[in-house]
Amino acid sequence: MIKVQQLTKSYGKQQVLKGISTSVNKGEVVAIIGPSGSGKSTFLRCLNLLEVPTSGTILIGDQELTSPKADVASIRQHIGMVFQHFHLFPHMTVLENITFAPTQVKGISQEEAKRKAMELLTKVGLADKADSYPSKLSGGQKQRVAIARSLAMEPEIMLFDEPTSALDPEMVKEVLNVIKDLADSGMTMLIVTHEMKFAREAADTIYFLDQGQLIESATPDQFFTNPQSERAIRFLEQVL
Amino acid sequence: MNKQKLFYVPMIALVLLFALFSPMFSVYAQEAAETPKKTLIMGTSPDFPPYESVDAKNNGEIIGLDIDIAKTILSELGYELQIQSMDFSGLIAAMQTGRVDFVMSGMSATEERKKSVDFSDPYYFARNTIVSKADNNYETLESLEGLVVGAQLGSVQEAVANQVPNASEVRKLNKIADLILEINSNRIAAAIVEDAVAVEMTNANPSLVMNFLPADANDGGYAIAFPKGSPYVEEFNTVIADMKESGKLDELLQQWFPEPEPKKVDSVESSKALIDFSVLQGYVPYILKGVGVTLLFTLVSALLGLILGSILSLFKISGIKPLKWFATGYTSIFRGTPLLVQLTLIYYATPQLTGYDIPPLLAAGLAFGLNSAAYLSETIRAGIMAVDKGQQEAAMALGIPYRKMMISIIFPQALRNILPALVNECVALIKESSLVSIIGVADLMRRADIVRADTFRAFEALLLVAAIYYVLVLILTSLAHMLERRLRRGD
Repeated sequence: MIKVQQLTKSYGKQQVLKGISTSVNKGEVVAIIGPSGSGKSTFLRCLNLLEVPTSGTILIGDQELTSPKADVASIRQHIGMVFQHFHLFPHMTVLENITFAPTQVKGISQEEAKRKAMELLTKVGLADKADSYPSKLSGGQKQRVAIARSLAMEPEIMLFDEPTSALDPEMVKEVLNVIKDLADSGMTMLIVTHEMKFAREAADTIYFLDQGQLIESATPDQFFTNPQSERAIRFLEQVL
Repeated sequence: MNKQKLFYVPMIALVLLFALFSPMFSVYAQEAAETPKKTLIMGTSPDFPPYESVDAKNNGEIIGLDIDIAKTILSELGYELQIQSMDFSGLIAAMQTGRVDFVMSGMSATEERKKSVDFSDPYYFARNTIVSKADNNYETLESLEGLVVGAQLGSVQEAVANQVPNASEVRKLNKIADLILEINSNRIAAAIVEDAVAVEMTNANPSLVMNFLPADANDGGYAIAFPKGSPYVEEFNTVIADMKESGKLDELLQQWFPEPEPKKVDSVESSKALIDFSVLQGYVPYILKGVGVTLLFTLVSALLGLILGSILSLFKISGIKPLKWFATGYTSIFRGTPLLVQLTLIYYATPQLTGYDIPPLLAAGLAFGLNSAAYLSETIRAGIMAVDKGQQEAAMALGIPYRKMMISIIFPQALRNILPALVNECVALIKESSLVSIIGVADLMRRADIVRADTFRAFEALLLVAAIYYVLVLILTSLAHMLERRLRRGD
C-alpha cells in the first residue's frame, strides 16, 4: 500500500529525516513513537506531501507521489489526515465541514454527501452537533468531527498526527475509541502518538524513530517487552 | 495548480463593468439610428448663469444664452446638438482630445487660448464690473490699490484683476460662489466679475454692490471655440453674422440678461442671513438624484477594487517572481501618484490611445477601482497571512484544489479579519467620489456646485450634501456591523 525508500528531508543544513525505508501493507495499523524532535511528524507529513521530501521516493499504491508528474491533489483525496490542532473550518458548520470536500472535489450530490455525513457523525457520536459551529465544540468533539471530515472522502489510508496531544486528559479516551474502531474496521493507518497504552493495544506495528532514523519496526509485544536498541530501551524507561 | 485561471477574473470584472453601463450605450445607439442628421457635441461648464446653467428646479436640463445661440446656429446649419457638461478647466482638453466638436461656455477669445484652439467671431462683449460689499463700494480699479482682489480662475477677469495697481494679491478661485464667500468673510476686498453674472450675484446677495468698469478695447469678446483646424468655423461665422444682422442675437441677449434694478421674477428670494435653507427650495430633488450616481459609482469602484486587489494580493503571496514584481510595482505606482492625476489621465488619454470614447462614469469607476485595488491588495494580503496555516494544510490534505481552497476557505476567513479595514476603504471611496465632478459626472458634489452657481449662495447646498454624505456613511457602517455579526456567528 505504501512504500518508502531512502526518504530524507532537510531544512537548510539541518537533516530531519536521514534516509527512511519501509513499507505498510493494506489494513496495517502503524503507531509511530519516539522522542520529540525525532522526525515523527515530518515523516508522516511527507506521506501526503505536506512536507516535500529532499530525496527518496514514496509510492502510494502504484502511484509515485514524489514524481514531478504526480497528480498530488488526486492522490491526497485517497489519504485522510487528522491534525493535532484539528484545523476545522471555523466559518462552516460541522455538517458543512464534512460535506465540503466530497461535494466540491468529488462532485457528490449535496443530499448524498449529507446522508453520508450524518452516518459518520452518528458513528463518532456527534449527530446532534451537525448544525453547530466548531467554536461551540469541546476539543474532543472537534477532533471527532475532524476524523469524520477525513473519512467522508472515503480514503484508503488515514494519517493521524498526534491526534490527542492538544486535548484535555478527560477527552483523550473518546477520540482514541473512535480511532480504535476505525483500526478494527481494517483501515490502513499511521498514527504519531505519545499514548503508549493505546499504541500497544491498537497497532499491528510500532515504528520507533530517533534522530531522523527508523530505529526499530516491530510488533507491539516485541517492542514493549523486548526492545532491541539501546535508544528504545532508554526511551521506554522514560515514558513507562 | 490552477493559477492561470485566476487571470480570467479581471477580464470577467471588466465585462461586468461594461455590462453595467451597456444600457447607456444602447440609448446612444438608438438615438443615432433615429436621426440621420449629423450630431455635433458641444462642451460647456453649466455653472455660469445666465450663459449656461442647469435648470435644477425642473428637469435638470442645461439652459442659457450660449445654449440658445448654439441651438439657433446648429438648426440653421442642419446639425443635431448634443451637450456635454464638464468643468471649465477641462474644456480645452476635451476639444484637443476630440471629445467635443466645439465649446460655448462664456469663453473669451484671448490671445493665450488662440494658441491652442480656433475661435469664431465674437458673439458678445461683456463689460467687467467690480463687486464688493455695499459699505465699501469700490468704483474704479485705482480705488482697489493695495488690496486683495479676486477673480474666477481661467477667466478673462483674471487679467483685469492683474491691472489693479499694486494689488497685494490676486486670488483666483474656481467658482463664483467661492468669490461671494471670500467677499463676505472679508478675505478679498472685491471681485472682478462680468456684468451679467454680477447682476445675479448682487440680486441674490443684497449685501453686495456692483460697479461697471470702462469697456476694454483689447477684450476679444465671447466666442465659440473649436479644435485647431476644425472645418466648422466658417459655417458658424456665417450664421453668427446673419444673426447679428437680423437682430436675432439681440433678441436672445435681451431674453437672458436681467436688468440690474428690478429682479428677475423667478430669481431666488434674496436673504440677508448667512445661512438660509429656503434658498434650496426646488433644488432638493435635483441634488438627491446625485445619491444614486454616487452610490453606483462607489459600488462599481469598490467591487473592482476588491476583485483586482484580491488578485494582486494572490500575486504577492504567490512566490512567482514576475507576478510579485508586477503586483509590487502596481501598488507602488497607484499609491504613489495622486488619484486626481490618474482620473484625468484615464478619462482624457483613453480616447486618444484606444479610440474608445470612455464615458465619464466608467472612467471614474475604473480610476477609483484601480487606485483602491492598490490599497486593498495590501490589506487583503495581511488578512490572508493572518489565517492559520493549518487551514491551508487541512484543505490540501483533503485534496481541495488551490483555487477552491482560496475562494471558499481562506478568503472568507481573511475577509472576516479585514472587514473593518474594508469598511474604512468604502467610506473613503464614498467621500472621495466627490473628485469625479472634475470630469463632469453629476454626482452629489457636482450637483451641489451647480446649485451654488445657480443660487449665487455659498453655504446651503454644501451643508445639504455634507449631511447626505454623512447619512450614506452611517448607513454603510451599520450594514457593515450587521455583516460582521453574520460573519462572526462561527465564534
